[in-house]
Amino acid sequence: MSGWCETPAELAELVGGAVRARDRLGARTLGDAAEALGAAAVRWGTDAQLLADLPAVARLSPPLVAAAVRIAAAAIDTRAMRALVEHEFGAGAAGRPAPRGPSLIGHVLAGNVPALGVPAIALGCLVGAAVVVKSGHDDPLSAPAFHRALEAVDPLLAAAVVTAYWPGGERSWEEAAFARADLVVASGTDETVAALAGRLGARLLAHGDRVSVAAVSREGLGRDEPLLERLALDIALHDQRGCLSPRAVYVEADGSPSPQAFAERLAAALDAVARELPPGPAGVEERAALRLLADEAEWEPGSRVLNGAGGLVVYDPRPAFRPTTGRRTIRVHAVNNLAALPLILAPGRVECVGLAASGPEVAALVPALRALGVARVCPIGRMQQPALAWPRGQRLPLGSLLGRPGPDVLEVEG
Amino acid sequence: MRSAFSLLAASAVPSPRVGSAVSLAAELVAAIATRASFEFEAWAQRIFRHQFERNAPYRAFCERRGVRPETVARWEDVPPVPAAAFRRAELACGPPEAIFLTSGTTDGAARGRHLVPHLAVYRASALGAFEHFMLPDGAHLTHLFLVPSPELRPDSSLARMCAWVGEAFGRDVEWLVGGDGLDVERLLARLADAERCGDALLLAGVTSAFVQLFDVCAARRLAFRLGPGSRVMDTGGTKGPERRLSRAGFLRACWTVLGVAGYCCVNEYGMTELCSQRYDSVLRDRFDGRGLEPRRLLGPPWLRTRILDPDTLEPVRPGEIGLLCHHDLANVGSVSVVLTEDLGRAVAPDGIEVTGRAAGAAPRGCGLLLAELGLS
Repeated sequence: MSGWCETPAELAELVGGAVRARDRLGARTLGDAAEALGAAAVRWGTDAQLLADLPAVARLSPPLVAAAVRIAAAAIDTRAMRALVEHEFGAGAAGRPAPRGPSLIGHVLAGNVPALGVPAIALGCLVGAAVVVKSGHDDPLSAPAFHRALEAVDPLLAAAVVTAYWPGGERSWEEAAFARADLVVASGTDETVAALAGRLGARLLAHGDRVSVAAVSREGLGRDEPLLERLALDIALHDQRGCLSPRAVYVEADGSPSPQAFAERLAAALDAVARELPPGPAGVEERAALRLLADEAEWEPGSRVLNGAGGLVVYDPRPAFRPTTGRRTIRVHAVNNLAALPLILAPGRVECVGLAASGPEVAALVPALRALGVARVCPIGRMQQPALAWPRGQRLPLGSLLGRPGPDVLEVEG
Repeated sequence: MRSAFSLLAASAVPSPRVGSAVSLAAELVAAIATRASFEFEAWAQRIFRHQFERNAPYRAFCERRGVRPETVARWEDVPPVPAAAFRRAELACGPPEAIFLTSGTTDGAARGRHLVPHLAVYRASALGAFEHFMLPDGAHLTHLFLVPSPELRPDSSLARMCAWVGEAFGRDVEWLVGGDGLDVERLLARLADAERCGDALLLAGVTSAFVQLFDVCAARRLAFRLGPGSRVMDTGGTKGPERRLSRAGFLRACWTVLGVAGYCCVNEYGMTELCSQRYDSVLRDRFDGRGLEPRRLLGPPWLRTRILDPDTLEPVRPGEIGLLCHHDLANVGSVSVVLTEDLGRAVAPDGIEVTGRAAGAAPRGCGLLLAELGLS
């Protein structure tokens, strides 16, 4: 069983209990786990208390939190989970128990995006492990809420899960949580995961700083679809704090609209999105970053600053890789041809590329993007809605938890 | 010891070219020497007019804001340029006598360039403030510099400042950073010599070099008791790849490793884009009998700093955190008002505290000097 704990010793006790509960799950099939997790996600997605409390803690507006919870809940879909286990473990895997794997997986969650604990718990359960989740500073609520939902639908499975929060770097708590863990998956800044690497060594599976970008070809510009609104939504969700948030968009130069006109329309689209999904409160560091971005752009030849209520768009005619720092800010770069994109992006820094381009254009880009370390290619408008099967950091979501290195995976979503 | 004031006065040679930039600089050097009676408001308006007339990119920037010399009623009305502008434009009022580059990146195109047409003003400002805050007792000490010399790093404003300081105030001067980095063995030998002789030292350098020294001493179980009156000036913070060390940890190490008490450890805050610096108040306060005052960064009379709200660029309420905007009149030859990427707050009526950086701001500053050379 899991619950509130006052001391590291109590946490260690809970973790030990979770491992014993996991052992008792024995021959339960992964399909059963997927059913329970899916039902829990539905419950969790309508948790009124969570939706009421999370905005203040996460520093996101209530509509943004509602959207984030809705997206996270949708990803924990029973059918998708069954498909994932069959994809990774072979046909019929959903009807079998989990393959032999770790008895305990720890998760250290980043604080930038809410609800990261939900897929963490789901993936751990889908490899048959007990799971201990350390929530991030800005969302200590989602993971316990999901745990409660799971307890309500499947107490036996929930007994193999522990959720906790302690300030990052508290060694005694860390030791209590992870001493028995076979693997600890950590998301956070490069600095955070480097500090954990020093303490956890080979047991750590690290996800450090990454950003995402969008790109639009001439063909993509000419489509009859609300491209700008979709891109604005990708930027606005999570107030652009996530690794899937686009921080730059590359637009082919000789299409219609022009990159500069595209920037102007994107600024208007951000304003429109902000009316539905207002930004949360900003700290002085974030507001200062906005000011500096606009101020610097004023001194860059050819750049243009478009500052609206919904965000800040900088038109930059140079095709550089200069991701912004978030808070609904983005650079629109002109490029002659999207084929140049892999030459512009920095290796190992980009998680997802949102594309508005033709099928052949996408197919031509994929090998080079894979070589750069990109893990996900999807249509613009879907960047913030990853499936549970998202191969984060090019790693298989389940196989990586079983220590199976696998190939470098890039998921292309149609 | 020579007084800085006499040095400054010697630099302030009257120019026959009345009204020229050279004359303005010479007059400013003389005014800096007067220190207490420095008329900030009058100088700020005069220097803004000079910069507006002679610095084309800055004039264009001001005109976009509808600001001209005749519309500036107070020094606070002078438009600040962001520090980033020094990465994008040549902001000088005349041919530079020196060009200093910011640290912090290997991307040469993105390094800030401060073109300084009047080195005499930089020298006067640097020496005046250093003497006031580091040598309030008029001490005449051996100076050990834990920075590269100007010969090794001619583009470093800190190296240039240290050279002037050594010439003006040092009994002896040694540079402890060479082409291979911090010469730890030579530094340890110098510290041992000084301890044996009871000599007082002034150690000045980048914070990361001190951290390197502390780590070596910890590994070898070494500690020194430097002579009374010894002092430390560090600058840049721990922004490089070296071990992070809190301020309290730094002060503790100065005491345990060097035998230098915290009240003799002075943090300097400077920027390549500025010709004036702020200093930790602690040594000056102790000398003036104000030892109970809070630690804060103080500047000379020709440097004022405002704490601005990032959204409005209006001053924040007292004690609130905002962007630091420096109005440095020693920047007479470039742009005097610089909006930084640093966050801070006012402390007491006369000081500031630096609390952090804007989100995502690139690491920069003197703390990276050694890292850039691949030396830390």
